[in-house]
Amino acid sequence: MSNWDEDGLELKTDVLVIGGGPAAAWAAIAASERGASVVIVDKGYVGASGAFAASTSGNKVLPPISELRDPVKFERYAMGGSLAQHRWWDRLLDITYDRAPRIWEWAGYEIPVYERTVKSSYRGLQGSETMRILREVLIQKGVEILDHSPALELLLDNEGAVAGARGINRQTNATWTVKAGATVVASGGVAWLSKALGCNTNTGDLHLAAAEVGAELSGMEFSAHYSPAPVHSSVTKGAYYRYATYSDAEGNELALSKNGHRSTSAIAKELLNGPVYCKLDKGTEAPEVRQMLRLGQPNFFAAFDKVGIDPFEQRFQMTLILEGTVRGTGGVRIANDECGTTVPGLYAAGDAATRELNCGGFTGGGGPNMTWAIGSGNIAGRAAADFSRSLGKAVNERAVQRTGGAGLRARNSAGPFDSSSVVKGVQDELFPYDKNIFRTEKGLLESLGKLDRLWEEVQGAPRQDSVHSLIRSREAAALVATARWAYFAGLQRTETRGMHKRLDYPALDPTQRHYLAVGGLDKLWTRAVTVPEAIVPKPVDPAEALKAKVAVAA
Amino acid sequence: MIELVSEKRCIGCDKCVKVCPTNVFDAVPDAAPKIARKSDCQTCFLCEAYCPVDALFVAAEAHKDVPVNEEELVQKGLLGVYRRHLGWDKGSSPMDRLNTYRDLVNKVGSPI
Repeated sequence: MSNWDEDGLELKTDVLVIGGGPAAAWAAIAASERGASVVIVDKGYVGASGAFAASTSGNKVLPPISELRDPVKFERYAMGGSLAQHRWWDRLLDITYDRAPRIWEWAGYEIPVYERTVKSSYRGLQGSETMRILREVLIQKGVEILDHSPALELLLDNEGAVAGARGINRQTNATWTVKAGATVVASGGVAWLSKALGCNTNTGDLHLAAAEVGAELSGMEFSAHYSPAPVHSSVTKGAYYRYATYSDAEGNELALSKNGHRSTSAIAKELLNGPVYCKLDKGTEAPEVRQMLRLGQPNFFAAFDKVGIDPFEQRFQMTLILEGTVRGTGGVRIANDECGTTVPGLYAAGDAATRELNCGGFTGGGGPNMTWAIGSGNIAGRAAADFSRSLGKAVNERAVQRTGGAGLRARNSAGPFDSSSVVKGVQDELFPYDKNIFRTEKGLLESLGKLDRLWEEVQGAPRQDSVHSLIRSREAAALVATARWAYFAGLQRTETRGMHKRLDYPALDPTQRHYLAVGGLDKLWTRAVTVPEAIVPKPVDPAEALKAKVAVAA
Repeated sequence: MIELVSEKRCIGCDKCVKVCPTNVFDAVPDAAPKIARKSDCQTCFLCEAYCPVDALFVAAEAHKDVPVNEEELVQKGLLGVYRRHLGWDKGSSPMDRLNTYRDLVNKVGSPI
């Protein structure tokens, strides 16, 4: 391989987008439509990387009618600890309503009409197909695509603004530098290499790089999202577990649902006791229903087909797999309406950014996350184009410095560290349900102690004898950094809110209705950030109100 | 994880090398790609989806090796099964499947 610090390919552009999923694609398209030149770089393949391409996700393409939008805005508002902002929801829904239908137009597809539902018709298109279309659009718009080109560090100008990034092409082994007027980080969340579906490209490399240039994170305590999956598989598709009945090894039925939804806590508790089995046999008897479910989520059945199990008829053993902030909500903190971070020239979108603004502390799986990806991607892309233009023609003549630390350049004189054992060390603290789902001060402190030692370890010389080991070393550092922010924020939030469960603080504390900004590399810190919106009361459904009146009168 | 690159079927287009998000394959001149970093396979099935000749098989098991037999996979119709389910196989379209889905939703109600 070439030496990491050698100059390789050099490009100059107005906007650099880092990532290969929907938020990245939308940011690149939006910046390009604003007249900017755009380069998009991704660790994998733009269109196949990340959680969405391997999966599918609902859109919330809804006209500005409160009867249609209110249910979306309020569905998880309380569950998310009232940390979402309705003002952000309105912006995101407006953008999604305007932009998402373009995917169908670009592909020349007729929009299906669903007669029995008021929900959006723009759904059912799989992630793989949606991303294939978006990649075509990027090519048509002249966006330069660098696949298999992980960004490993950000570049800073002398004023402290982000001026691009550096990385390496893992198939040609050549380093690359992209100098840019503005940079959008849309590189996905972090799932700590759990093999949750499509999530192993999401290792938090850019969370670390952003923190190295002074960006902050937020909502990292809301990173304990687990999804059900057939045991040994990668298929973390949770929607169809609403048809599940659960049982133990002896076949005794287990009550693991609450209000008709699966309860992650209940499943996790049972899994700590022994194996859990599952069958999708609640209301799925009709062959038409089964065919509909198969067509709705082909990937859900891929795993079953291959091992010859019919999940409607046969019990299968299940597990819970950590999806971290991919379906949890933490990420790079958004500091303004433009999806800008606290660092000039650096924007964040999609799962890489905190999704608290529309999801609060609860998962946004099944629609809200995609609305965030489309909304934040478009906002960040436009803002990045405008920022770059504001810097004038000499934007890419700026002197820049490289900023990558842990896992990229030795920060002490310790010998080389083994990235696999570091990753294993992080996973040993993050994966177990009794550490991550059921949190306590004692447990978090113990884990943080171990993670601090791993952080110390990754300050040593990274192995860089191959591109693979170079990338793995940096990933290992990023996985430690993100794990520390997750548990440090979890330690500071002394209450139970959203998916953050503290056994020692089991109730929601109204005085902690704030965001927790978190950051720091060697020394961690948190800071409460006010939610700039009072709790919005749920509108009273006129039919429900009438029923209540009748009940009182009776 | 990825278990099979069928040398019989592979046409050497190297599409799998290009699209694999975790860079599991290495291209080999004038031959089928090599599974070079199997443990990096995240079991996302996207290489299968993109393979134009159904030469690949990704087993459902994400963490352990599973022995496979090509003839048996062909007999069971498992080569290219995910591509067919996406409507990405020849002569099909994602919209054909989506329209059937729509008709079923209109008939029996929305699953989600």
